[in-house]
Amino acid sequence: MHVPDGFIDTRTALATGTLAAVGLGVALADVRRALPPRRVPLIGLAAAFVFAAQMLNFPVAGGTSGHLIGAVLAAVLLGPGAAVVVMSAVLILQCFMFADGGVTALGANIFNMAIVAPGIGWAAYRLICRTAGETLRSRLFATAFAAWVSTVSAAIACAGELALSGTASWGVVFPAMAGVHMLIGLGEAAITALVVAWVARLRPDLVAVAGGAEARAGYRSLVVWGLLVSVGLALFVGPFACGWPDGLEKVAGALGFESRAAEKPVLAAPLPGYAVPGIGSTALSTIIAGGVGTLVAFGLAFLLARSLAPGGSPRARRPA
Amino acid sequence: MNAVEVRGLEYRYADGTLALRHVSFAVVEGERVALIGPNGAGKSTLLLHLNGLLPENPAGAVSILGTPVKGENLPEIRARVGLLFQDPDDQLFCPTVWEDVAFGPAQMGLSGAALEARVAGALDRVGLAGYAGRLPHHLSRGEKRRVCLAGVLACEARVLALDEPTSDLDPRARRELKSFLQGLPVTQVIATHDLELVVELCPRAILLDAGAVVADGKTHELLNDEGLMVAHGLDRPHILRHSHPH
Amino acid sequence: MHDDLLSPYEHRDSAVHRLPAGAKLAVAVAFVFGIVVLPRGSWAAYAAGAAVLVVAAGVSRVPVRRLVTRLLWLEPFALGIAVLALFQPGGPAIFAATLARATLCLSAMVMLAATTRFTDLLRVLWRLKAPGLLVTTLALMHRYLFLLADERSRMLRARRSRTYVAGRAVAWRASASVAGALFVRSSERAERIWTAMLARGWKT
Repeated sequence: MHVPDGFIDTRTALATGTLAAVGLGVALADVRRALPPRRVPLIGLAAAFVFAAQMLNFPVAGGTSGHLIGAVLAAVLLGPGAAVVVMSAVLILQCFMFADGGVTALGANIFNMAIVAPGIGWAAYRLICRTAGETLRSRLFATAFAAWVSTVSAAIACAGELALSGTASWGVVFPAMAGVHMLIGLGEAAITALVVAWVARLRPDLVAVAGGAEARAGYRSLVVWGLLVSVGLALFVGPFACGWPDGLEKVAGALGFESRAAEKPVLAAPLPGYAVPGIGSTALSTIIAGGVGTLVAFGLAFLLARSLAPGGSPRARRPA
Repeated sequence: MNAVEVRGLEYRYADGTLALRHVSFAVVEGERVALIGPNGAGKSTLLLHLNGLLPENPAGAVSILGTPVKGENLPEIRARVGLLFQDPDDQLFCPTVWEDVAFGPAQMGLSGAALEARVAGALDRVGLAGYAGRLPHHLSRGEKRRVCLAGVLACEARVLALDEPTSDLDPRARRELKSFLQGLPVTQVIATHDLELVVELCPRAILLDAGAVVADGKTHELLNDEGLMVAHGLDRPHILRHSHPH
Repeated sequence: MHDDLLSPYEHRDSAVHRLPAGAKLAVAVAFVFGIVVLPRGSWAAYAAGAAVLVVAAGVSRVPVRRLVTRLLWLEPFALGIAVLALFQPGGPAIFAATLARATLCLSAMVMLAATTRFTDLLRVLWRLKAPGLLVTTLALMHRYLFLLADERSRMLRARRSRTYVAGRAVAWRASASVAGALFVRSSERAERIWTAMLARGWKT
């Protein structure tokens, strides 16, 4: 999902850049405050790890294979603040050393994959853990589903940014990005859960860390991230999904975004092929497609957790 | 005043296992001592204590050049004792060779021309004069070890503690390291499995097993004692089987 | 054995290579911003930009084949997203312009990476007073990238040599177990690095 230069226009680049800078700044402050000094090298090594792990192949069909993004993996193993820093570092290196992801798009890429993805993923993870319990099985279930949600959320934000920049129309880019990533997200869910399960087998104490005091982000940081993600989604997705609420319209006007709002909201005119056959209303079909996707992800996460942690606790099997 | 003095050192790991049992020995300045013993004997753990890298121990005492290893003395201790880790990749963590060698002296407050001179001097001594701008991951195993040595020499350490310095070095690199250490007039404590190196380099050896000092004496006497060696998971080195006692 | 793809820097003795890293970074970023800020149809400007890049490539003496290979490797991603641009009023024009802009910017960044060491860029960041934790993270990540990539390859090879059954499930298990082991090893190495930092006087 690395967006190259030339796809995000100046206005959107500035907006995403600001959001990214604030989010990263908050994360850095959070990590400096909460992480004991002896774990500082871990952040750097974890970034190298995510980079190396992203190169692993997970064959899908024909010659294609899936790859890990790693936002939720980092969040579960290191905590949300560290995950933001780690993912940002990976994206920065990829941009300047490998030209993977544009410079003007760096703000958008960091916002999508280093703030929205770990942020929403962590929120989903904690929510599920709180309701389902903290056994390994429920944690794996939470991990898998959170990974799926994070991937889809990042894709939606990305779609909004592309549409807002005038590169593609919302009616095309939203179903394309969301649809593809609902599928890719399943892979991310499975891979993330598998890796966490392996780490749990080798060093259960490393997985426990994420729930501990060390990784618990400061309350203020969480609020700021939540705000950033909400503002971002409102700016980039809002105008297409449901039209402008009055207050935000004034702000958007001041920022120069309102011209985009001239596009019809998606629920009235998505790509024809996106409609579920047999259902008349295309708005309904969007909702149904989304709902089906979510249920599939939910089911996969559940089954995965079940098979990786039967009986709710890790088997004392020696890893091969 | 001894360079290294260890008295009744006892240490337990976090899980309760006794790693070092009443270890006592002293090393004179300029002496080269080998620490030998089977895996898990506690050699590496003992070396870490020389630098005060493990949590303070109520049982026993360690002092370096007269300064006890504890609390407020640690910065001074860590400048005086140069520890060479088993895996040079753990120690070579800076982006370039220059920055890595400069790390220690920079921590001690050096900067500018003085720092430059120190780094250049250290690289020169280990024979890596043109390597300042090189990236660590491009170096060979032997070169990495030499950069680590330079980093420690740049701190003007007076005691060198080396953990398996010749492990996974090819014969040429091993030879170079050995002759380098031979020419270095600094106190050296070398933990190693390389018994040939012990014979060639260290007149004195301390045999450690299960955290306790089993024997401490002249290398030739210790290593020639086949029964002792085998009983503690070692073997009499070939170099002694075919050489004449001095 | 380092993966060719992991080392974009090509060392050559050229005027471009000798320029300070900060200058090269500034020029590359300015170039990219310049392209992005231009209105879509500025084809004359794009051509001029392309000419500048070609000249720079020539002066830098970096083998053209290397630059083109990198560009080709990155281009599909740009293409994939650009295709979406076709489905709107004025689609083809937007598609063409977007692709042109993306390719120009990609080329500039590939040139930057080929002529500038990442460690030099880090030093620029440090001088610009970027947050210390971020710079340290980037530095450590860059330092241990290759090591981890090597460890990953070795572990994969070891896993594969012990599998006699082909198939996706096996491949997934191998990759996941390698990732898991890699994380654990990285975590343990991080602890040892911390000890090594303390050993040379790092003050907490």
